[in-house]
Amino acid sequence: MRDDEAGGSGELFDGGPFDRGTADEDAAEQGRTEDELRQAAAILDPVPPELRRIAVEAYALHDLDARIAELTFDSLVDAIPVRGVADPPRMLTFHTGELTVDVEVTPHGLMGQLLPPQEASIEVLSGPQAGARLTADDLGRFIGDPPPAGPFALRLRTGDETVVTEWLRA
Amino acid sequence: MDRTDVGALVQSAVDGDAAAWKALVEGLSPLVWSVVRAHRLSDADGHEVYQTAWFRFAQHLGRIREPDKAGSWLASTTRHECLKVIKSAKRLTPTDDPQLLDRVSEDRTPEQSVLDSEEAAAQSERVRFLWQEFEALGERCRQLLRVLIASPPPSYQEVSAALGIAVGSIGPMRQRCLRRLRARLIARGAL
Repeated sequence: MRDDEAGGSGELFDGGPFDRGTADEDAAEQGRTEDELRQAAAILDPVPPELRRIAVEAYALHDLDARIAELTFDSLVDAIPVRGVADPPRMLTFHTGELTVDVEVTPHGLMGQLLPPQEASIEVLSGPQAGARLTADDLGRFIGDPPPAGPFALRLRTGDETVVTEWLRA
Repeated sequence: MDRTDVGALVQSAVDGDAAAWKALVEGLSPLVWSVVRAHRLSDADGHEVYQTAWFRFAQHLGRIREPDKAGSWLASTTRHECLKVIKSAKRLTPTDDPQLLDRVSEDRTPEQSVLDSEEAAAQSERVRFLWQEFEALGERCRQLLRVLIASPPPSYQEVSAALGIAVGSIGPMRQRCLRRLRARLIARGAL
């Protein structure tokens, strides 16, 4: 039930028998209710401990030497859905400086293209651990298994630098 | 979390202090989690969004322009990932999860074990009442309050980033929502 629109039950408090008068008292009571609710959230809906641990371990992902290739196109957000295509591939484009990385993810695999075309060794990351290794050929093409469920990023080593794509969910 | 603290911790983490990073996780992960929960994602999606937000934060650490606003940065990143999940219809799961309360009671936290002791039974009951009435609030109120009750309490800037609403409208909406929640509790004889 949505009572946003109805607004009914709130009236009880606005001049009804439960109106205690001053705005200060109202504010104090509201503050108490909020505090109680905060305690309830800590008990009934806390951050799952394994997620807290994963966040702590994510510190290993900070790498000041690698350049970040920013996500500049995501078909999930930027593309107009094609009618009748039930499960379109996810198309992603990342940019950093002169380098463009196009990636296409489907349930069958991951395909990509570096521009300008160049060789690179690529690691498919899903967290701080080592990931599957792929190679981009001299035309900048690469292909691999679909990334595991959850967040993923590509770490690319080209001739002279290391580039990591922004983390996202496939 | 205090903003100057956040800024200093971010700087220390950039400089290689793992304890500072851990303090950031302690102080800001309840906010990230509250944003995930406010958007009512499935458990699997919610866990992935939470991880994505922290992975991105670690990746961008040292490149964040205003380190003292790292909480807002995380809240905003989490919100955008949540919206992507919602947009990707095939991942969208029904929002009414009747098992939510049952499942919560299976995940036993230390606090909950304390609550289960006999002398705390009455309080436990009250906490459940409160949570049920909160869950039954209209969607906008439930969303706003879920983020506001993160612990430590978020700043209005962070709430604004978490939900995409103007800072100026948070105070009035908060009052309205808490008033409504109190009215529900009174109607139920729980206040």
